[in-house]
Amino acid sequence: MKVVVVGGGWSGCAAALAAKKAGGDVVLLERTDLLLGTGLVGGIFRNNGRYTAAQEAIEMGGGDLFDIMDEVSRHKSLNFPGHNHASLYDVNKIEPYVRTLLERNGIEVNLMNRMVRVKKYAKTILAIITDKENEFAGDVFIDATGTAGPMGNCLKYGNGCCMCVLRCPSFGPRISLTAKMDIKETMGQRDDGTPGAMSGACKLNKATLSPQILEKLERDGVVVVPLPEKIDKSSVLGKKACTQYALADYARNIILLDTGHAKLMTPYFSLNDLRNIPGFENVRYEDPYSGGNGNSIRYLGIAPSDDSLKVLGADNLFCCGEKAGLLVGHTEAIISGLLAGHNAVRHVLDMQYLQLPTKLACGDFLEYMHGQMIKPNGLKVRYSFSGSTYFERMKQLGLYTTHNEEIKSRVAACNLSNIYSTCLV
Amino acid sequence: MNDILTARCIDINTPYCPCILADLNNCVHCSRLRGEDICDCDWAGICIYYEKYWQKKEVGDTKAKARTQIETEFEICEQISADIFKISIPVTSIFASMLKKIGSFIFIKLIEDPDYFFFPVGIMKVGTENLEVIIEKVGPKSKRIFGEKQKICVKGPYYNGILGQPWIEHVSYGKIILIAGGMGQAPAISIAEHLLTNHNIVTAIIAPGQSQVFAKEDLEKMGCEVFSVCSIRRVGIPMLKDLILTEPKPDLIVSAGPDEQHYGIIDAMKNVNVNLPMAATNNATMCCGEGICGSCKKVMHNGVMIPTCKLQTSFNQFKDNV
Repeated sequence: MKVVVVGGGWSGCAAALAAKKAGGDVVLLERTDLLLGTGLVGGIFRNNGRYTAAQEAIEMGGGDLFDIMDEVSRHKSLNFPGHNHASLYDVNKIEPYVRTLLERNGIEVNLMNRMVRVKKYAKTILAIITDKENEFAGDVFIDATGTAGPMGNCLKYGNGCCMCVLRCPSFGPRISLTAKMDIKETMGQRDDGTPGAMSGACKLNKATLSPQILEKLERDGVVVVPLPEKIDKSSVLGKKACTQYALADYARNIILLDTGHAKLMTPYFSLNDLRNIPGFENVRYEDPYSGGNGNSIRYLGIAPSDDSLKVLGADNLFCCGEKAGLLVGHTEAIISGLLAGHNAVRHVLDMQYLQLPTKLACGDFLEYMHGQMIKPNGLKVRYSFSGSTYFERMKQLGLYTTHNEEIKSRVAACNLSNIYSTCLV
Repeated sequence: MNDILTARCIDINTPYCPCILADLNNCVHCSRLRGEDICDCDWAGICIYYEKYWQKKEVGDTKAKARTQIETEFEICEQISADIFKISIPVTSIFASMLKKIGSFIFIKLIEDPDYFFFPVGIMKVGTENLEVIIEKVGPKSKRIFGEKQKICVKGPYYNGILGQPWIEHVSYGKIILIAGGMGQAPAISIAEHLLTNHNIVTAIIAPGQSQVFAKEDLEKMGCEVFSVCSIRRVGIPMLKDLILTEPKPDLIVSAGPDEQHYGIIDAMKNVNVNLPMAATNNATMCCGEGICGSCKKVMHNGVMIPTCKLQTSFNQFKDNV
């Protein structure tokens, strides 16, 4: 049974692992020379409701990736405005760990293989052909191609290519598998209805910060510097992809997090303005390189899917990560990836698809998000365990907890303990 | 060498991209510049949509960069046969340097004639301040320039004179067979020059076609092994079969001549069960050179119709006899 995962970001890696554990022969295709995609510049997890979600995934047997994140965390149990008990993994160190994990599990990882064409029969995908003219045939396929970029989109809906970690000019633009199947995709929207949203953080080169700020950042993991009055960033908030950080605190302050880079919690910030702030006189950007000018645009190609993450309109295609909805973050990507990978194997075995129950945060999240996205203005909201509307809902429904034992018993009550590590074949 | 050549616009990454087609929302490469909602291009290492954006910033709403037009007076170097002339056209050194790319061609007309008198002429040799071309008097347009006045207007550069141009450009230290028949001898000279610069071993089979053999001396001087035969069909093709089967196998076949010659070579390769990349001169009827008029359009095996003045692909991708 051959499972082909297209896209090697967090969700693609999670899908590949889940499909492998469920008994599939897994091929993972990635267009760049590194796995993890935007996970290479992310770093924040276990903050707010993400703690519950991560712990649920671990109890369900899909904890390998969270274990790696925990292992390379620079800071744990960190509090910063609006967020509690966050962990920050080291973005510079994590990729080789994940690659080794996948390879050790027997997953065939094909880097620098960008999907360009699809062989199909009616609504069934037969094979993926990459820009190197390699053909990857499969029984079931997973679209983990994401929704960010490429340059044309970043120009049309943003401030142009900002030279981000996606590196489209070097490795070629993202191509959507769902779109190649002629399935209409939806686009997220900003408050004013403009399609897409701008990625929400920049990364500063740590060595260019003043020694005082650097020392505090490395010690505490977080530094909050009030913005001088003449600089106001509030107009940027509505553009952000990560609504959980679109808080007034983030407009009045510079918030830096230590993820290996100094993560600056704003989509972009004029370098000259930044250099007027004490401690930032010599600062420069690490990612995106043109962080003074803009950031990548995302949510431009969301596949229509149901709560089992099967893509509607294709016979043997699943989706995960941002492809599956307006979700934000690694935790969200991983929980969707695990489900898509697991269900892909169930599809080939002609089993009933796994649908996560709403008694679990992960299940409620997917159901709520898909339900909201078809409502008016639903495409203007981003969904995350860590903030915005969904975290409020988690708290109201009593789904939010940081007690591991309680999460364990909830998962057990749903008969889902170790479901992702169970071989179905 | 990659023996599949994706259909791609020859003007990408030249000063003439984005072109008038992008202005008209008909770019052959970029989905956005065709009015589609999402990016879906066959990535060529450059974003044309972005180039369009910069073009607008630099020159405002003016149209895409137009090709250069030069008014000049040519001189006949040699009358090869009753209707075939080798002429030398003085041009600026910048214009000459723009035509050094393999497959370059220009359009020529008398200065006082209207634009629809422009006809395409492949480049044989590029000097520092002149071009050498071969022109055969065949129709109303080409006959006109050999009247009393020899003041002509030259427009260029255009690049898609050879299908499979990237192969010629990139092959090095290889074994190449170059087949040139009739007027195809003219582009064969510039092709051979390029191939030899890249340390390839070039074996040329040339035939007079409807005219005479005129490239033998030039090719030999450059260092090609030249077989001058009376007919490509009767002698050249059997000779080619032998050459294909001789080890080491050739890396590339270049066919410079009429379409019948291209098909003959494809058939010859099929006969001996060998599939080699084949570059071939582009003999489509060209009028505007900008992908607008449609005179050069051909249908590919996948049913897509492409303007061959712009799109680079390999000759065997075309449906026969279209």
